Order: sequence, then C-alpha cells, then structure tokens
Amino acid sequence: MIAGLNAYIALSALLFAIGFFGVLLRKNTLVIYMCLELMLVASTLALVAFSRFNGTMDGNVFVFFILTVAAAEVAVGLAIIVALFRRRQTVQVDELDSLKH
Amino acid sequence: MTPASLAILLLLLPLGSAALIGLFLRRQGALASWISVTAATGIALVAGHLVFRGLRFEAATEWLRFGDFAISLGFKFDDLAALMLAIVALVGLCVHVFSLGYMHDDPSRARYFGGLSIFMFSMLGIVLADNLFMMFIFWELVGFSSWLLINHWHEKTSASDAAKKAFIVNRVGDFGFLLGIIACYWALGAVNLTEIAAKVHGGATVVAAIPLLLFCGAVGKSAQMPLHVWLPDAMEGPTPVSALIHAATMVAAGIYMLCRIEPLFAAAPAIALNVVMWIGVITALYAAFCAIAQRDIKKVLAYSTLSQLGYMVAAFGLGSLQQTLHSDAGSFDVLVSAGVGAAMFHLTTHAFFKALLFLGSGAVIHACHHEQDIFAMGGLRKKTPLTFITFTIGVAAISGFPFLAGFFSKDAILHLALEKNHFVFGILAFTAVLTAFYMTRLWKLVFLGAPRSESAEHAHEVGPTMALPLVVLAVLSVFGGYTAIYGHVFDGVLSLVPHAEGSTILMVSLVILIVGAGGALVFYQPAATDTFEQKFPGLFSLLASKLFIDEAYNYYVAKIQQRFAMLLNFFEQIVLAGLIIRGLAGVVGLFGLGARALQTGRLSAYVYWFLIGVVLLWGFAAGWTFP
Amino acid sequence: MADILFYITAAFTVFCAFGVVFNRNTVNAALCLLLSLMGVAVLFALLNAYLLAVLLVLVYAGAVVALFLFIVMLLDTQGGHNRPFKIISLVASFGGLTLLLCGVSAIVTRGQLTAHGAPAVSAPVGSVLKSYAELLFTTYLLPVEIMGFLLLIAMLGVIVLCKKFEGLEDVK
Repeated sequence: MIAGLNAYIALSALLFAIGFFGVLLRKNTLVIYMCLELMLVASTLALVAFSRFNGTMDGNVFVFFILTVAAAEVAVGLAIIVALFRRRQTVQVDELDSLKH
Repeated sequence: MTPASLAILLLLLPLGSAALIGLFLRRQGALASWISVTAATGIALVAGHLVFRGLRFEAATEWLRFGDFAISLGFKFDDLAALMLAIVALVGLCVHVFSLGYMHDDPSRARYFGGLSIFMFSMLGIVLADNLFMMFIFWELVGFSSWLLINHWHEKTSASDAAKKAFIVNRVGDFGFLLGIIACYWALGAVNLTEIAAKVHGGATVVAAIPLLLFCGAVGKSAQMPLHVWLPDAMEGPTPVSALIHAATMVAAGIYMLCRIEPLFAAAPAIALNVVMWIGVITALYAAFCAIAQRDIKKVLAYSTLSQLGYMVAAFGLGSLQQTLHSDAGSFDVLVSAGVGAAMFHLTTHAFFKALLFLGSGAVIHACHHEQDIFAMGGLRKKTPLTFITFTIGVAAISGFPFLAGFFSKDAILHLALEKNHFVFGILAFTAVLTAFYMTRLWKLVFLGAPRSESAEHAHEVGPTMALPLVVLAVLSVFGGYTAIYGHVFDGVLSLVPHAEGSTILMVSLVILIVGAGGALVFYQPAATDTFEQKFPGLFSLLASKLFIDEAYNYYVAKIQQRFAMLLNFFEQIVLAGLIIRGLAGVVGLFGLGARALQTGRLSAYVYWFLIGVVLLWGFAAGWTFP
Repeated sequence: MADILFYITAAFTVFCAFGVVFNRNTVNAALCLLLSLMGVAVLFALLNAYLLAVLLVLVYAGAVVALFLFIVMLLDTQGGHNRPFKIISLVASFGGLTLLLCGVSAIVTRGQLTAHGAPAVSAPVGSVLKSYAELLFTTYLLPVEIMGFLLLIAMLGVIVLCKKFEGLEDVK
C-alpha cells in the first residue's frame, strides 16, 4: 500500500491522541509534560507531511518556529515545576490542589 | 375669617393641644390639663360662632389622586353637622371642666388630657366630614382615641383587655363600613355625601347591600347587637371618658353617620331600613333587660346607653312619614324623613341627660372614694345634695318625666312607631317601662335610705369644677327639649321631628312612667342585696347572664379563631417560609454548591473539561446545533 | 520500499509513544520519548525534510529530553515507584482518547485527502538550505524576530522563576 498523505495524517493524529491520553492518565507532572511534547511533535509531523505533499516549503519553515517555541516552553515549564517542587516537595499532580474549593 | 378657615381652626385647636401635650408636657399634668381645657373652650366658642350665626357652607380640597380616583378632604357644614357640632363642643367642654376636678390626683393626667384632645380632633373630623373616606379616616382615629382613653389605667389587666376588646369589635364593624364605602364608590362612582344625594335623587339604583354594609360601621361604633359587647367593658375607663365618649359623642357618631347616608337608605329597597329598625329594637330590649340585673353603677348606665342607642337606631329605621302640610295653596302630602329627625332629636337630648348621669355617677364614685357597687351606697341624698338634685333631673329626663327633654324626644319616637308599625311600638313602649324601672332602681339604691357602707358614710360633696358641668347639663336636660330655644339654626333637622297630635302618646308615656318608676320605687328595698335576686332568683340569673353572648364570643375566639390562626401559621411556616422562600434560596444555594464542586483543584479534571469543550466546539463546527 | 520503511517506523514510533504513557518509571518514560522522537526524525527523512530531521534530533532529543532527565534526576522523589493506574482513570482516559481521535479524523477527512501521489523531489540537496533561508528571511522575517524575542523572555523568565526569594518558607 502506498503511504500517501492519508497515512501520514492518520499517524500524526494517532500520536497526538496518544499524547493526550498520557496527559489524561498520568499523575506525575514531568510525565504529563513529556506527553505534551509528544503532542507537539505529532503536530510538526502533520505540518511537514502537508508541505511535502503540496510541494511547498512553508510547512517545513513553520516547524522551525514550533521547535523554537517548544524549546522555550520546556525551559520555562520545567522552571515552574522546579519552583513548585520547592514549595510543595511533590510533583504528583494530585497533591497540587490548592485551587480546590 | 371665612367659615372654612374657622372650621380648620376647629380641627387645629385640639390637634395642637394634643401635639403639645404629647411631645412636651408628658410629665406636667397641671399644665396639660389647662391647655386641654383651653382648647376645649376655644372649640366651644368657635363652634358657637359657626352654629349660631347661621354660617352654613361646603368646602373641599383634593388630597390624593390615583388616576381618575381622588380622595378629597372637605367640610360639609349643614344644619345636621351644626347640631352635632354644638353637642360635641358643649358636652366636650363640660367633660373637660369636670375632668379638671375628677382627675386632679391622677399621676398620668397629662396622657389623659392628651387623649381627650385627640378624641375631640377625631370627633370633629367625623362631624365636619363631607365624604365617606374622610369620615372613615376620622372614624378609625376615634376608635384609636377610645382605646387610648379606656386604657388609661393600663396597669389593670381588665382595663387593657377592655380597650383591646373595644378596638377589635369596632374594627369588625369598620370592615363592613369599608366594604360599604367601596361598594358605594363602585355602584355610584362617588363618595362625597352631596354627590351621593344628587346621584340618588337623579335616579341611580341602590342595592340594599350598600347602605347595610355602611350600617355595619354604625353597628360597631354605636354598639348595636351583635357588636355591643364592648360598651359595658369600656366602663373600665375613667368616668368622664365614659361620659364623653361612650354616652354622648362617639357612640352617637354611628347615628350621625346613618343620618348622613339617609339618601342611600331612602333609595334602597325597604328591607334595608327594616333590618336597621329590628336591630335597633332588639338591642334596646336586650340592653334594658340586662340593665335590671347590674350592680355596678357605671354598668347600669352603660346598658342604659345601649338601650337608648337602640332607640335611636330603631327610630331611624322606622323611616319616613307621610305628613300633610297645610299652606295657603291648599294641603298637600309630603314625605318627611321623620326617622332622621326623631333619631337626631333623641341623640341631642340623650347627650345631655346621659352625660349628666355619667358625670353625676362620677361625682358619686368620687364621693364614695371609688366605690362603684350600688349596694354599698345609699343615703347620699343628705350627704351630696347637689349631686342628688342633678342626678334626679337626669333620671327623670331619661324616664320620660313630662316636660323634661327626654319626654319630648321619646314621644317623637313613640309617635313615629305608632304611625308605622304597631308591634315595634309595643316593644318600644315596654322598653320604656323597663328604662324607667331600672333607672329608678338605681336612683333609689344610690341616694335614698341609709348609708350601707363606710365610704357612703363619709361621702363628701364635689368641688366647683365638678359641680358646674353638672348644673349646666341639668339645665339643658330640663330645657333642651323645647326646640324653640334653638332659634332657627337647626331647622334643617328639627323640622323633621314628628310631632304627636292628640293625646294618645301623652297618655302612653304617663302610663309608662307610673308603671315603671312607681314599680321600682315600691319593689326595691334599700338593702345590701338585690331584692329582685331574692324574690326571683331564676329570672335574675337569666338577666344577669346577658344571654351568654360574651361567653359565646370568648369561645369562638379561643377555640375556633385561634385554631384557624394556628392552621394559617402552620401553612405559612411550612409552605410559605419553608418551601417557597427558603426553598428558592436553597435551590440557588444548591446551584452554588454544584458550581463549587467543579473546582477540584486537580489538573486531570480540568483537562477533561477542556476536552469536553473542544468536542463541543468540533460539534458546532460540524454544524451540530442543540437538538 | 519507502512504504515498508514508513510502516515499520510508524509502528515503532507508536509503540514508543505508548511506552511514554504507560511506563511507571519516569526515566524509562523519558527514554521512550527519546526513541519516539528518533522515529519521528526518520519519518521526517522519509518526507525529504532532512534538515528538519537533524534539527529535531539536535534540539529536541538532544536538549529538551536532556533537560527533562536533569529535572527528573533533581526532583522526582518517588523515582521509579509511581503508583499503579486506577481502572477508572484508564477507562476515562481511553474515552478521552477515542473522542479526540474521532474529532480529529472528522475534521481531517472533511477536506480532500484523496490518495495523493508524492510529487517529485523538486530541488537538489545543496540548495535545500537556500530555500529555507529564502522563506525565513523574506516571508517569515517577522516570526523570526519574534522568536528571538521569545527566547530572550524565556531566559529571563527561567532566571526569575528559579531565584530564591528571602523570607519564603517552603510550605507543604
């Protein structure tokens, strides 16, 4: 079977869904963050696939930006987690519930 | 000054006195009493000027307006109002002067005189009112002043209970009165008395219900059956109050109001007047029976007042008379509202001699150091001669002694009854016998014989402030029945009084007097116990029980009304306050609790919510609208 | 040939993605993430985006995952002993996953995703970089500048967040 655009998009959707599954399921903040990164990567895959099958370069260039943003986001996000750990001594999302009524 | 401004002055004088006393002079009894008496004198002078100079007028000003419905305040000063004003002013002044002496040693004198002033204000408002709404407002004010004054010695539970009873029973009557005013407005479109008369003469139809509902107010205020129960209890107030309010003026307000709405009665079916007449007759008879068995001097006079009010109401109910008038053009028949004339005439004379009797009894009570049981009195003829003379004149007047005031007015009523309804005539004549009987009994037991107790031994005559009103009222009781002395100022009313022709009525009244008074003189022996009770115990206990009407009311209130009130309270607590009010608040609270439960603080929960939101957005994007 | 490679790589990537999600040990999960990133890099190469494949490995796998591992080493007190999953969470999360999949596929298949043949590779290898640069410095110049700004802000933010302020106790 020819791996056409459909296959790539389906794969990207599947990876995105698995990442989301992880966000819903896991209780460890760091693992949740990793699954978030997985979702980002899945979206980059979709972009590249589209740009390749339409013959343009815009999708590829856009991946640059996504990569940059992802890197910045990881840095800041992990800094927040570290600051949170300093206060609460935990990274379990269950125990970070001070917004509870 | 214009007559209208004089009338406003009439209202402002007592109101100002009451305000002054109520606001500033609560502790200064002497000053308060003088201010009140001065106000009463001022009222008497202004009233005299208005009445006897023949100033008759109408004036009104609009007070409240709701769309095309307006309540106005105004004066209607015709002959009827002038007569009533003269009575109120004169008797009021006498009572005020008497109170100077009677209440001299009372610690809360100021409150008493303030109450008297408020009463004068309210009563004058009723007298001068030109429409039913204004009359109703002052009607309620009069009820309030009556409560205030009966309640004067409020430390006694009996007094405060009596005041409450008076107010509540009056309120029952006033409810009917208010319904009547509303019905009148709805049917005729007017509550102004002159407008009502004009509409009725112009041919408007009047249902019997309207005047009868208005009559309910008179039933309450003038203590007719079945709302008579408050008047004997109202004797808990000071005696001058009983004289002014519960003998001469307030209870007469009901009669006055009836005379004011007489056009409605004339236009309504005859059943309205018949009902009024029978209620009056039954009240007169019942009260006369009850009076025979009373021991307290004021209670006897109270039942006597009830009986005489019944007379007045019956006279009004007897209605109009066909009279033949002779003039130069020949004789022609005219329908004269003789009921109004007879009732008002008797009201006038009754005011004089009943006030005299009450003030006299006040003098007696004061003399006997607040002893009120007639079986503990006696021999006061020698100890208090002036009181004896004036009281005798009063007793003679009420019994219908010839040529005194009561004789003429009672004869007018009996003549009217004879012309209209023989059965009623018979009952009224018999009641007159009973009246003479119990009044003579009272007179004999109080004044004749030997003193039967310590207080009667040491009785002393009254001072000048108390003696002067007694003398004035005695003179009026003698001469008040000769309508000629009034000149022509009251012609509008006094010309309506039916005059007996021939000597039938004269004979009848002489027989009444001899049978009644003579019987009492002979029958009652001055002793510490009631001769009647000794000779006819069964009949006496029946009379003393007053037919258990008070007990019936008590039973009704305690058992039926209270239970109904408890049922309503239960309904209010559970349904209204519980279900509806707290329930609604509770539902809102539940919403709040539900919203609060959403804030779990856990990240995963929030992500789920996010997912649901995204799904919804996808749905909308795919064109899914709410099914 | 390219198709078989595609399917193998796709299977591998998905398997590693599940590994990230289901692995109880945090470090294992990070390493699985690394592996799935490798797989995506191979897929990029299959799509003739060689520069991006390399960039992915360098930036993502090299820097980001390394950073993750550093933080895991510093913070994760439970280490390899995360709690087992509750059944209800599994069921609910699976529901979420299917929902998401349905949604995404519904949107994606609305367009014309017919069997698209792959067009021929347009430019030679040497000038691939030139085509990127052309776009980056003309059409997408503004986003590039903004990216620079964003990185500056991120750096400042990280420094501020990790500063220890006086007088703050660590409250549990």
